[in-house]
Amino acid sequence: MGEMSDFQRSEVPNWCPGCGDYAIMGAVKKALAELDIKPHQAVLASGVGCFAKLPYWVKVYGFVGLHGRTLPVAQGIKLANPKLKVIAFGGDGDGYGEGGNHFIHACRRNINIPYFVHNNEVFGLTTGQYSPTAEKGTKSKSSPKGSVESPVNPLALALSSGATFVARAYAGHLKEMVQIMKQAILHEGFAFVDIVQACPSFGKTIPVDKMVYLTSPFLSRGKALEKVVDDDKITLGVFYQEKKEE
Amino acid sequence: MDLTIKIGGEAGFGLAFATDMLARVFLKLGYHIYSSKDYASQIRGGHNYHNLRVSDKDVAADRQQVDCLLAFDQETIKQHLHFISPKGIIIMDDNLKIDFGCNVGASAQLNSEVKVIMIPLKKMEDELKEKRIRNSILIGAFCKYFNIPFHILEESFKDIFKEKPQHIERNILAARKGYDIVTGQPIYPIEVNHDHHLNKKPDIFSGNQAIAKAAVRAGLLFHAQYPMTPVSEILHYLSLEAVKNPELVVLQPEDEIAVINFALGASFAGARSMVATSGGGFALMVESIGLAGMAEIPVVIILGQRAGPSTGMPTKNEQGDLNFALYSGSGDFSHVVIAPASIEECYIETMRAFYLAEKYQLPVIVLVDKQLTESFKSINIDEINQHLITSQTVDFNSTVSPNNTGQFNLSNLKEQRFGIKNEVVASELQNGLYPRYDGLEKYERTLPGTILGMHTCAGDEHDEIGEITEDPEIRIRMMKRRMNKLNLIVQELPSVSVYGNKDLQNSLLVVSWGSNNITIREAVDILQHEGKKISFLNIKYLKPFLVEEVKNILNQAEKLVLIESNYTSQLGGLISSKTCIEIKDTILRYDGKTFTVDEICAELRKRC
Repeated sequence: MGEMSDFQRSEVPNWCPGCGDYAIMGAVKKALAELDIKPHQAVLASGVGCFAKLPYWVKVYGFVGLHGRTLPVAQGIKLANPKLKVIAFGGDGDGYGEGGNHFIHACRRNINIPYFVHNNEVFGLTTGQYSPTAEKGTKSKSSPKGSVESPVNPLALALSSGATFVARAYAGHLKEMVQIMKQAILHEGFAFVDIVQACPSFGKTIPVDKMVYLTSPFLSRGKALEKVVDDDKITLGVFYQEKKEE
Repeated sequence: MDLTIKIGGEAGFGLAFATDMLARVFLKLGYHIYSSKDYASQIRGGHNYHNLRVSDKDVAADRQQVDCLLAFDQETIKQHLHFISPKGIIIMDDNLKIDFGCNVGASAQLNSEVKVIMIPLKKMEDELKEKRIRNSILIGAFCKYFNIPFHILEESFKDIFKEKPQHIERNILAARKGYDIVTGQPIYPIEVNHDHHLNKKPDIFSGNQAIAKAAVRAGLLFHAQYPMTPVSEILHYLSLEAVKNPELVVLQPEDEIAVINFALGASFAGARSMVATSGGGFALMVESIGLAGMAEIPVVIILGQRAGPSTGMPTKNEQGDLNFALYSGSGDFSHVVIAPASIEECYIETMRAFYLAEKYQLPVIVLVDKQLTESFKSINIDEINQHLITSQTVDFNSTVSPNNTGQFNLSNLKEQRFGIKNEVVASELQNGLYPRYDGLEKYERTLPGTILGMHTCAGDEHDEIGEITEDPEIRIRMMKRRMNKLNLIVQELPSVSVYGNKDLQNSLLVVSWGSNNITIREAVDILQHEGKKISFLNIKYLKPFLVEEVKNILNQAEKLVLIESNYTSQLGGLISSKTCIEIKDTILRYDGKTFTVDEICAELRKRC
């Protein structure tokens, strides 16, 4: 097993105090260390947004590309060198808005990469506009009378697009998040994890009391889908996992 | 001999097959062939035609006259009758009508020597109990008129149906029926040409095939493409190639944005990568071209122009994307734009593109057009190989061992890597990471997987290890590093040369680029033969631009004229901005058609 310090860089991250990104970055380092993945074997790929700076502060190979375009880059890296451990990162604006099309097709394509999406329901780096996952009626700089669109349901989208690993984690629960990340990294196929995260500067308060954990994944895609489309709680854990078809 | 055959009909009649077959027949007889097509953006119906030119010389341009018209529909007769040469021949379906009285030029009056041959295609198909085999019947009849031995036809069918042998017999049977219906003396006996310049194993390449074959030879490992006219054939060719070669990954992603980002990811991981598209798809790629420039990622982009803007005329020709290719992306960064000017150059310049992209870690655009990509011709691969020796002036890479002459043979490209550092020692590290963006004339990266080679490949402004920064000093250093690439590349490009009359002071100098090149060359040959003083400058390297060389040539010429297939004379604009020389006399076309040799000759005769 490796050490988290193997992935430590000397630069200091410039995220806001209290940002969930710190916890997510820590969890990634811990998952990599516990899975004994060496720094030179790992590639972290991201796009644009607060979250997207994560690869700058982990001592591995990083690829920080364009807004929404991480999944094609990450899949390209993996196809060119399947020996690498490639992890893709998205944000709710980056991954569900700008890169929504790539998300659907990455689910279909089922290439062996985990995809962690930092979901705080707000655009942080552009100072607080509502994002594709914001509740309908969310008031923000760009929606002074409340947003008019229904939010994207990322888990339902993933399940209906053929994803073979679908999970949700909470950035405030480090131990559980590391566990889910490790399962995603070990999954053979496209492994999607939506990570509920607070934005201390622009986001709403996270209703932690509504969080419940699944004890085990649903046995069918249909059952998992039924749960995610009609869930009055914030259910966390692995919703669905299937073995890659050869 | 120089024969132009035109094969016309509705889409779905098998015109492409008929053209391909006749091309193979003439190749077996020892002739050079060249074929272009004009078709509508629909799968069935419409009016399409294919030109096939057969010559004892190497040809690659369209003539206006038609020596033999193979007509499958009335529209073919209507549109092309007035271009029939005085001793031309029309072979057509017997249910079609011909009326020399209307819509006809002086060359094809009723009393001319034009031969019209009616073939009862429907009746013969019925006798054969076949439905869609009239193209093979017509080819059979054609071959008899031209005294071509039937066994040549048989061999060609066997070649063309190598992968589908079940079709050989029935097509040979149909061709035999067409061959036998013709009686009497052949009208235009064709001799087997022994005195040709093709090598022993001639091949036929389209521009698309030349690009795809060159990419494979250059060591292509990753190709992504969303289908788009006029470059879809590259995707088809490479998809088949990937079946044979498990190392090659060929992918059809969800859109062109995904296409180029897949390629950038693969290239970052070390695979030589290529994408191909046309104007609309290229528009989607533009942001990522800037990323490749900023993060210094090699990628080869094939941009096959068609008539724009927007969807435009998808199957028609234009050279309207030069400015777009030159100025694609926000901010200042280095990228290369090369415009091959023949099918042979599609091959050579694609290999050069891979070389430059990897060595200088930047995007290289190979700018072609429908006329180049979808036309095909007989190829002498030995001649191409001679052109693969290129000068290599910048030898900053320790992993390469160039020979002493300062030349690099592109044919060995697959075996050589550029700018890739395989071993890193701890003393080279900065803040524990590899300074992949270090130096003003050194472009060396580590591939993921290399021990101690970690860094960030960054679309943000970054320092040597790829760490995000907004520090003004680092910004200046990195801008200079990226922009310096063009200064180095320009030293590696082959010199510009003038075709035709070298005495420019008493000459009309024609300037052009891309697919017009071969057509203009042939026109210059004809006009020189007529005693005219005429020269031609083709500009192949658009970015970086060989400013001094071009300026020097333009300054010497007595008169200048520019030929382009676009509305705004985009090359003219580039020349003017680089050399301060404005070429006011222009011959421009933007009707979706390509220039014929005859049209160019007529225009140039007015000027010299």
